[in-house]
This record gives sequence, C-alpha cells and structure tokens, in this order.
Amino acid sequence: MRIVVDVLIVISIFFAFAGVVGMLRMPDSFTRMQSSTNIATMGVLGVILGGAVYAALGLHEPVMVVKLLVLGVFYIITNPISGHAICRGAYKHGVRPKEEMKCHKYGEDMVEEK
Amino acid sequence: MSELLFFAVCFIVLALCLFIRVILGPSVADRAVAADSVDILCDMALILFALHSGRSIFLDIALITAVLGFVGSTLVARYLEGRL
Amino acid sequence: MKKASIPAVISTALICFIFWLLISGGLVALCQGAPDVRNLVVGLLVSVFVGLFSARFFIHESPFYLWNPAKLLQLLFYCICIFPIELIKANLDVALRALNPVLPINPGIVKVPVDVQSEYGQAMLANSITLTPGTITMDIVEEEVPVGEASPAKEGEEAAPLPTKPQTFYYIHWINVASEDPKEAGDAIKGTLEKGVRRIFD
Repeated sequence: MRIVVDVLIVISIFFAFAGVVGMLRMPDSFTRMQSSTNIATMGVLGVILGGAVYAALGLHEPVMVVKLLVLGVFYIITNPISGHAICRGAYKHGVRPKEEMKCHKYGEDMVEEK
Repeated sequence: MSELLFFAVCFIVLALCLFIRVILGPSVADRAVAADSVDILCDMALILFALHSGRSIFLDIALITAVLGFVGSTLVARYLEGRL
Repeated sequence: MKKASIPAVISTALICFIFWLLISGGLVALCQGAPDVRNLVVGLLVSVFVGLFSARFFIHESPFYLWNPAKLLQLLFYCICIFPIELIKANLDVALRALNPVLPINPGIVKVPVDVQSEYGQAMLANSITLTPGTITMDIVEEEVPVGEASPAKEGEEAAPLPTKPQTFYYIHWINVASEDPKEAGDAIKGTLEKGVRRIFD
C-alpha cells in the first residue's frame, strides 16, 4: 500500500516539476499556459488518487476518500474553464504570440471581421 | 508516515520557484496563470498535510481554496476581455 | 433570458443535493445505516432554493437527458476509459517537450470543424480538448459553409448559389502543429474524444 501511494505521489511531483520548468522556459504566453495545464491535470490527479488510497487503506476514513474524489472532480471540471477564459481574454487584451508561429488562423479571421 | 510531509515540502518548493514567473512575467495573463498554478501547488501541499495529520477539516479548506482560485482567475480573464 | 421550467429546477436541485451529500459526509452516514435526518432536510431545502435561482443559467436544453442510465453509463465509460488514456499520452508529450531542450516546439492556432450538435456536447468536447495539455480551445464560432459540389455554370447564366448549412468551428492553440489542414488537424487533436462525446450526446 505504501509503495502504491508513494509511486502515485512521485509521479505527480514529476509532472508538477515538468510544468514548472515549462512555465519558466517556454518562449511566449500561450505555450506557458499549455505547461500550466500540465500542473493542473496530472499533478493534481496523482495526489488525489494516492491520497484516496492512503485514506482508504491507511487511515480507514471513508469521509476523506469521498472528499478527495470530489476535490479531484472539481479541479477537472473547473480548470479548463478558467484556462480557456484566460487564453481568450489575453488574446483580446492584446497579448500576441511570437512571430515564428507556424499558422495563425485566429488572427487572420479576426482581422477580416474588422 | 512522514514521507507525506517531505512530499508536501517538495510541492512548496515548486510553488516558490513558480513565484519567479509571477514576479517577472511580462504580461498580466502570465501572472494570472502562474498565480493560479501556485494556488494549485499549495493546495496539493495542504492535501498531503491533511493526510498526514488525519483530519478531514483541511480538505474543506482545500476545496474552498480551489473555488477561490477558480473564481479569481475567471475574474481576471473577464477583466482582460473588457467586459467587467 | 427565458424563465426556468419546473423540470430544470428539479434537475438542478438533484445535482446540488448529490453534491451536498458527498461534501457533508451524509452519504457515508447513509451507507453505514445511521442517517442524520436534520442534515438531509437542511440539504434538501438549500438545494431546492439554489435550484430555483440558478436553473436558468444551468439548464438550456432537455433537463433530464443525463438521468438516463444508458447515457450515464456511456458518460462513466468516457470518463474512466477513453479520456485518461489521451490525458496521459498528451501529458507525457508536453512534459518531455518542456524538460528536453532538443525537442522542438512550433506553436500555432488551427481552425477545426466539429460535428457535435448539442450545446452540452460542444462544451464538453471543448473542455476535454483544453484539459489535455498541448491544446487549448480559444474560441467557438458558427459559420455557414456550402454543401456539395459547384455545378459548372452554363454560358450566359449565373451560377446558382450553393445551399449552406451551419457548421461549428473551434480555434485551437496547438503546441506542436503537425498539419495545417483542418481535417487532419482535427483527427490528430480530437479523433477519439469526439467519437466518445458523440456516443453520449447524439
């Protein structure tokens, strides 16, 4: 049981570390947002699942298991909403990607509408 | 099981590293996303501490922190879009 | 904004009540055979009160669609089997891309057609795409696209305008643009996810 919990939490820490490194070294705002999604999915799910296993088998508290699972579902539901909103808001506010983007359909269509 | 505290410290260290991005992020969106991620990482540390101490009241606090982070970042996004 | 109907209020209140049961520990007490009656009554009152005010923001189409066991099973299958596999694959890809300076990133915004009709299905697909690292849905637009082939115009006649139908498009920010063609990009981004969502909502 301890091994399963430890492995899940270490996986979670690895993905959170990758997300932090990505946020520090990616070149522009939008790719940094992609890396932050990395923290918010696997970084959360590993801790939630490992914690649920530990609370069920180590602590014998079903209330904590249910609360942990609700917390995980809440993160999974709300995180893409705020990510999408911030991405669109940043684009409309005037944050632009770097010039070396491969294709840029959104910008072309927005210019056509004006 | 005191490894849980060690893992919590790992998460806190990652959150402190992310403060670099909060401080020198060039645009508002960078700072908002980085602050949201700091919120999530601190939440994970809080969950691990709740498991270590065996009290479920910390999980309620973690849920409230998650709700506040979501509302805060959505509010920043709405302000950036100019509809606040 | 239209007024909330009675079934919408009931549906929203049921969801709130389930959430209350999970959070307050009432479900565990119920399973252990010692339900706290006061807790349940207060939760029911509060959730009906919340449902009265928030149903019109929450329910737009048929309210009892997802309370159908077959659809609920499909939703569970999507959440447990289809989606996590995509999630783990995309996570590994983006994590390696962040940690390894040799792997290139070439970001871009592509426009992708989507064949899901219902509003909930579109929202769910967009959220799934945003949740997989590497892709973020930036905007959803609906445009009229022509259907069928253009018939060759005869001499002296103007070509008849093609019939059009509404088609939904997503603008997706993609961290590693594999192809700019809308069809191929759509297959690469949301191939399996879209099949799963269509099985639930169509």
